[in-house]
Amino acid sequence: MPSTIETYFDKLERTRMWRSIFRSGRGSSTLHNALAIQQNVFLHLFPTKVRKRMVGLEATWYLGTLTLGTFIILVVTGVLLMLYYHPSVPQAYSDVKDLQFVVSSGLFLRNLHRWSAHAMVFLAFAHMFRVFYRGAYRAPREFNWVVGVVLLLVTLLLSYTGYLLPWDQLAYWAITVGTNISSAVPLIGDKIHFLLLGGNQVNANALLRFYVLHCVILPLTAVLFLAVHFWRIRKDGGLYVRESEPGTAGAQPQPASEERKKL
Amino acid sequence: MQTHKTGFISSCKAFVRDPFRMFGIVSVVVLLLLTIAPAKDYLSEWHGYQRQYLNFIRNRGDAITLRRHFVGGIHQIWIPQLDVVDRCETCHVGLTEASLADVKEQPFRAHPVMPHKLTEFGCVICHRGQGAATTVNEAHHSKMAGEEPILPARYMESSCGQCHQGPLEGTPKLNRGRVMLSRYGCVSCHSISLPDGTKLEATDNPPPLSHIADKTTREWIYAWLKDPTSYSPSATMPNFGLSDADASDISAFLIANSVPQPGDQIALPAQGHGPEPDPAAGASLYGESFCASCHATQNAAGNLVGGDLGPELTNVGTKVKPEWLLGWMRDPQKYDPSTPMPQYRWTDAQLKVIAGYVQSKSNPDLLANVHLAPATRAQIAHGKQLVTEYGCASCHEIRGVPKPDNFGPNLSRIGSKPVVQLVFLPDMEHSLPAYLTQKIREPRSFGSTFRMPRYNFTPSQVEAVTTALLSLTDRSYSLPLSLQVPGMRETKYQPAGQAGQIMTNLNCLSCHRINGHGGDMAPDLSWEGSSVQRQWLDEFLKNPNTLRPALIRRMPKFNLTDAERTTLTDYMMTVYQTSSFQRDEMPLTGYTPEQIEKGRQLFYSKYACQSCHMVNPNEDKGYIGPTLTKVGARLNAAWIFHYLKDPQAMRPGTIEPNQHMSDDDARALTAFLMAQKTGAGQGAK
Repeated sequence: MPSTIETYFDKLERTRMWRSIFRSGRGSSTLHNALAIQQNVFLHLFPTKVRKRMVGLEATWYLGTLTLGTFIILVVTGVLLMLYYHPSVPQAYSDVKDLQFVVSSGLFLRNLHRWSAHAMVFLAFAHMFRVFYRGAYRAPREFNWVVGVVLLLVTLLLSYTGYLLPWDQLAYWAITVGTNISSAVPLIGDKIHFLLLGGNQVNANALLRFYVLHCVILPLTAVLFLAVHFWRIRKDGGLYVRESEPGTAGAQPQPASEERKKL
Repeated sequence: MQTHKTGFISSCKAFVRDPFRMFGIVSVVVLLLLTIAPAKDYLSEWHGYQRQYLNFIRNRGDAITLRRHFVGGIHQIWIPQLDVVDRCETCHVGLTEASLADVKEQPFRAHPVMPHKLTEFGCVICHRGQGAATTVNEAHHSKMAGEEPILPARYMESSCGQCHQGPLEGTPKLNRGRVMLSRYGCVSCHSISLPDGTKLEATDNPPPLSHIADKTTREWIYAWLKDPTSYSPSATMPNFGLSDADASDISAFLIANSVPQPGDQIALPAQGHGPEPDPAAGASLYGESFCASCHATQNAAGNLVGGDLGPELTNVGTKVKPEWLLGWMRDPQKYDPSTPMPQYRWTDAQLKVIAGYVQSKSNPDLLANVHLAPATRAQIAHGKQLVTEYGCASCHEIRGVPKPDNFGPNLSRIGSKPVVQLVFLPDMEHSLPAYLTQKIREPRSFGSTFRMPRYNFTPSQVEAVTTALLSLTDRSYSLPLSLQVPGMRETKYQPAGQAGQIMTNLNCLSCHRINGHGGDMAPDLSWEGSSVQRQWLDEFLKNPNTLRPALIRRMPKFNLTDAERTTLTDYMMTVYQTSSFQRDEMPLTGYTPEQIEKGRQLFYSKYACQSCHMVNPNEDKGYIGPTLTKVGARLNAAWIFHYLKDPQAMRPGTIEPNQHMSDDDARALTAFLMAQKTGAGQGAK
């Protein structure tokens, strides 16, 4: 049997269509495997090679990957929720009620979206703590750390803008309070407040603005920075391994390693 | 054992380390978790109720019909313009099945008969609750910010009041509560406006207090403030729960603040001069003047007898000063220009008799224990402060204390107040009706700093007021105009000219209604000029005798002068006419005997008018409608004709049935009725 399947795949990989789609060609040599990664639009962001140890649980606790996973769940459930939701004052709340009471698995969708959002914030923080305490933010990864900080902010903003959309009392007052905080900024505070709400009050304009931010602007920003983030992992020398870093084993002692020695 | 355990852990570790196995396990777990979502949908409450319903109808005789009517799935009544999405029918499956009317098990009972269709307004507009929900708890009991819990059935009439702003036949509790809001002066402190823009006005006629020292004593004011019901059980003044000192200070301020009103008192004759008033004559004059139409007194059995337009008079002698009472009886408007009491035009002798009789209604025990020390300056100042703090001027006119605007919270939308905005007492049901009930029953139970006074309401009165308040919802404002049924709007109509002065002086509008303004005790006079003959009206004003033997309340005799009577009659005959027909388009006399005979037959057989009316006093027994023995000398022919054709058009709300008579029948009946001029039953059997 296995041989039948193998021959079937063999045949398939020889077809013109297969070859036109997968450019790396046949074969299982290291070169082929490397090409398979490098020539795929989705995978080329990642290093073509990693140490086997680095894909284990202990290396990263998969915190970054899990954050990406929740993000993907959020995109999928979010798009499905958008099928039922109108960002308009008279309908937003009753649409949420409809999701809860009559849409098949609507409550599941909404809850999944909500819990994933909570999880994503938690995981993003956990990821950053781990990176920080392991010292993985240091050269040559400083820029990727900065990208990560931007991604954390985007995550928090996504979480905050999504809060208004159910258009209930909780949402309304949370956004009222939140945007009022922005008007405390010196000189341009009121302008920011006006810009955020599209007016002076939390109203139809604010709802629409937060909807667009939540569903278009912020997710696109997140995707953009995610791409940079992953690409930089590869460019900065793959996942951080302490022993392979020049700073830890090298001649010049660095302040951070000095600290560690004292401990 | 140790090795076994270590072996187990290490094999687990090995198992977990293998990424392929790990991936497989995680995938299976995720798949299992994903099946929960559709399973929860299938096991939802409404599915359960629909299965239960099918089981329930299986053994009934009408199972086939019910089964045919049944359609599974979520059902909703959707009325976009009313913002109604009610899914109640999803579980309440048999709402429209007449045969399920007596079913005990909810949610399967049919809805009782009601004046509107189920699909016309949905469920939530009347019952409240959350219509969009499909779970029992969310639909009935949710109290989140925007949601209202279901309304208990005993307040259901309040929902009718959202559209129907006027009184309705089927909602006695609501009507009563609405009257009470005005009657007990609730609206003096709490302003209540209706969606059509009208504001509820108080109807309790609170007396002005600027000249109070002319009328009564500080001791009486003190006793009254302490407990109004001890003086008069029917008092509309509430109990402010004042301490002895506070009541004493307020009474001191009111007396000190009072300025004499010239002419509101008549000096009493010195003791021993002239005969003492005769109690029998007093009682008879009191009866003849129909004082009891407006004023109640307690009879021997302790029951209140009489009307409630004026104050109760059981103990009035304890309250008023005799010289003030005499002055009041002669001209009430001297003391209080806005009083509803008419000026009776009694002779001096009659005045003495009636005032003496009223003064004798007293109970000295009431003030026996009231001993107040003379007021000090500080007391008076504190009294004024208290009068301001308690908002006394919201109801009473008090010299030097301006009427506060919106003293209490505005209640125009109290019926939609979210539960989350209310502060409840411990152990209290968390619902708006329960809150309102407690607030009306014991306002100070929410804290001693609250100023709202306590009324002495019975539980049914509290329920009525609560019902009326619950009808004041946000929804009544957002309804489409086509659904709003405004009540009778009170106009500002005042009769003009010399006749107008006489009518104001007689306070005709206290009892009669004219052009949308006035009381409801006596007939509406807006079209009196079209209705009656001049001579009859003149005679009636001279000597009013009753038209309706069954009524206790009658028009009093006012001792009008000839000139006053002529002015009034002229004015009413000229001004109070309907535009729908000409008064003189049919003759008062000259109908042929054939016509009269035909009318007689119609009266007695086809329309059987004698069941309510009386034409021949010896034979007819009708007591419900007015006596018609002399109707030919009272009413105009054209009025009778048009009234017979469409009674409600001529007198809105009359119980006279609309028989949809042909013109011929109406004309013949008019001829027969116009023949009844002397009371001898002309043309009758």
